[in-house]
Amino acid sequence: MSDQTHIPAGHDLAPGEEEQHSVGERILGYVVGLVLALLLTATSFFIAGTDLVWQPSIPVALIVLAIAQMGVHLVFFLHITTGPDNTNNVLALAFGLLIVFLVVGGTVWIMSHLNANMPPMDQIMRMQ
Amino acid sequence: MLGKLDWSAIPFDQPIPLVAGAMVLVAILGVLAWVVVKGHLPYLWHEWITSVDHKRIGVMYILLASVMLLRGGSDAIMMRIQQAVAYQSQGYLPPEHYNQIFSAHGTIMIFFVAMPFVIGLMNLVVPLQLGVRDVAFPTLNSVGFWLTATGALLVNISLVVGEFARTGWLAFPPLSELSYSPGVGVDYYAWSLQISGVGTLVAGINLVTTVLKLRTKGMNYLRMPMFCWTTLASNLLIVAAFPILTATLAMLLLDRYLGFHFFTNEAGGNVMMFMNLIWAWGHPEVYILVLPAFGIFSEVVSTFSGKALFGYRSMVLATMAICVISFMVWLHHFFTMGAGPDVNAIFGIASMIIAVPTGVKIYNWLFTMYGGRIRLATPMLWAVGFMVTFIIGGLTGVLVAVPPADFMLHNSMFLVAHFHNVIIGGVLFGAFAGFEYWFPKAFGFRLDERWGKAAFWFTFTGFYVTFMPLYIAGMLGMTRRMQHYDVAAWRPWMIIAAVGMAVLTIGVICQIMQLVVSIRNREALRDRTGDPWDGRSLEWATSSPPPVFNFAFNPDVRGEDAYWEMKAHARQQSFAHEEPEYQDIEMPRNSPTGFVCAFFATIMGFALIWHIWWMVILGGIGAFATFVVFAWRDHDEYVIPAEEVARIDRVNLEERRSLVSMAGAV
Repeated sequence: MSDQTHIPAGHDLAPGEEEQHSVGERILGYVVGLVLALLLTATSFFIAGTDLVWQPSIPVALIVLAIAQMGVHLVFFLHITTGPDNTNNVLALAFGLLIVFLVVGGTVWIMSHLNANMPPMDQIMRMQ
Repeated sequence: MLGKLDWSAIPFDQPIPLVAGAMVLVAILGVLAWVVVKGHLPYLWHEWITSVDHKRIGVMYILLASVMLLRGGSDAIMMRIQQAVAYQSQGYLPPEHYNQIFSAHGTIMIFFVAMPFVIGLMNLVVPLQLGVRDVAFPTLNSVGFWLTATGALLVNISLVVGEFARTGWLAFPPLSELSYSPGVGVDYYAWSLQISGVGTLVAGINLVTTVLKLRTKGMNYLRMPMFCWTTLASNLLIVAAFPILTATLAMLLLDRYLGFHFFTNEAGGNVMMFMNLIWAWGHPEVYILVLPAFGIFSEVVSTFSGKALFGYRSMVLATMAICVISFMVWLHHFFTMGAGPDVNAIFGIASMIIAVPTGVKIYNWLFTMYGGRIRLATPMLWAVGFMVTFIIGGLTGVLVAVPPADFMLHNSMFLVAHFHNVIIGGVLFGAFAGFEYWFPKAFGFRLDERWGKAAFWFTFTGFYVTFMPLYIAGMLGMTRRMQHYDVAAWRPWMIIAAVGMAVLTIGVICQIMQLVVSIRNREALRDRTGDPWDGRSLEWATSSPPPVFNFAFNPDVRGEDAYWEMKAHARQQSFAHEEPEYQDIEMPRNSPTGFVCAFFATIMGFALIWHIWWMVILGGIGAFATFVVFAWRDHDEYVIPAEEVARIDRVNLEERRSLVSMAGAV
């Protein structure tokens, strides 16, 4: 089937498929990614238990660190770039994020309304 | 040793499933015996069961769908008869049996008829339309098909071993939880959907990758035939939505098997979450089914009007808009659950908005026909029948998208009529149109037009006679899934619907007759040109049936309607293209991976349903080992030498030249 993958210009790469880089360069990329990921993980554990920062900011900080963690994984391990050879991957990621946002966001919204309007019988009793 | 399985699982006291099961078993054994005695087994094994050819797999998908259509159709006939006779009486089906029948009918029609039919057509046609030799992952394709077949097999085993779910086709908790459904019915339902769901997801990934990555020279996105676009949209939805179904059913299974409390009444479970999640899959599923049908109609309408598709770009836009908006409307399936006015209003409006791109499509088809030279061949009849029927179904859909109206009509026969109106009128008519349209391409001979037209008119009329009365019964307050009723006003409508079902059945018989007659007259109906309908896209550029490598050389696409332009170009030059320089072609080797995987998946599924744990482990190890063996294979391709390619292609070119010179003479 190799004679068939013939979309020459901007032929894009699947995640994990590498362009011709030397082994050293590639290992360096993975090491940087690993260090960043470990750093972010360690920071999350540290923040969760510390009283050095203002307490209500901790959940927000954890969310920010989690998103940064995802970014590190995408860039260093899944090799998402902004190059023209990566259009399909970026679009797939965007589509996935949109659907996750719609389904999770919609679910939270719907369920909170349902919980408010349709509580179980014992809760209604307590309210009265 | 055998878990919950013992002789009480066989329903000896219920003659209907037992006799039906026995008949099916005899039929299967008869066919098997015939195959073995006639010595067809090696042919079947090498050419079909282990085939990784997308055309063969597509045909097998469609065959599976057709057989299951007969099963689901028999359920429908039984339900219509039951409701026609069960006025102030129990009818002839006891409630527990009737409940299994409507659950099985819905499950089978959606998962094992509509899904395999559209996936089969996409498999068969999309690589040909893109001008390539196979899908992106040929062996994975075979795995996907066989896992779907596993699901279908498990559902049918439930007919004679144990029982099927009595919960409706989406198994809503708390009814589907262990405390209310202690039998194996729900487990049959859930495991067959889990296994076939893997197959569907695999097919989705495969087709998305094929459309995005494998296109012939010059086939950029805005030159792809409409069917490829709708395939892309539909399979993007499969990839995005089916994991939701898998996760939801997994949670239900955890509740049932390991005492979790996701959807139970007690211990903090929330049944409303199940409705929310299952419909977050369920609504995109509707568009997964209907988008490919829209693509088929686009091809058919443009071919049989002899015109390019009107508003190609708006069609692409409408398709992709539906792809995204279909993920924003799922709450309209449970307006009545109590989310309140603002949530209901937003989802109601979104549901009405999604009718807009669909309307755009209808107008595009109408304008394609306008001023065209229309040939009312059988595929075109289905397309026109679709437009009329689907508009009615769409309008009743917009009606129930209005939350206050939905409060009146929720779970009534009106709803039943509505979704049959869009699924039969949209998906099934589309599947039949595609079947009639591409059959000559797949098998090399056309289908008999007279029986085809008879099948259309009986199905079309039968559909209206069956389902229009259900709208009225719904308006009169009849709810769905009633085993018997005491309201005199509903009775006449149920009897008319049963008569309509009889007409529909004649339509199905005509369809079968058409196949029989066409196979018998296949020499007279032979399509030697590869282009029986004067087609416009690349699948008609190769012979019928296409050689295993589809195209001897990669077609060069210079615009929309690639093959139409090639033909026009060839006529002007008054000769077809000279003989190209043939080259060796590498094709993927056949592999039994899919079949063996599905064999072990069947064992595992059956064992899970009956709690036979040692057999679960056996099946799991077998399936995993099959995967490992496949992953470590050495040779996955074989070479077709250039001389062989040339020999096959010269015959095709010769036929084509005579066609062009004839057209030139006229």
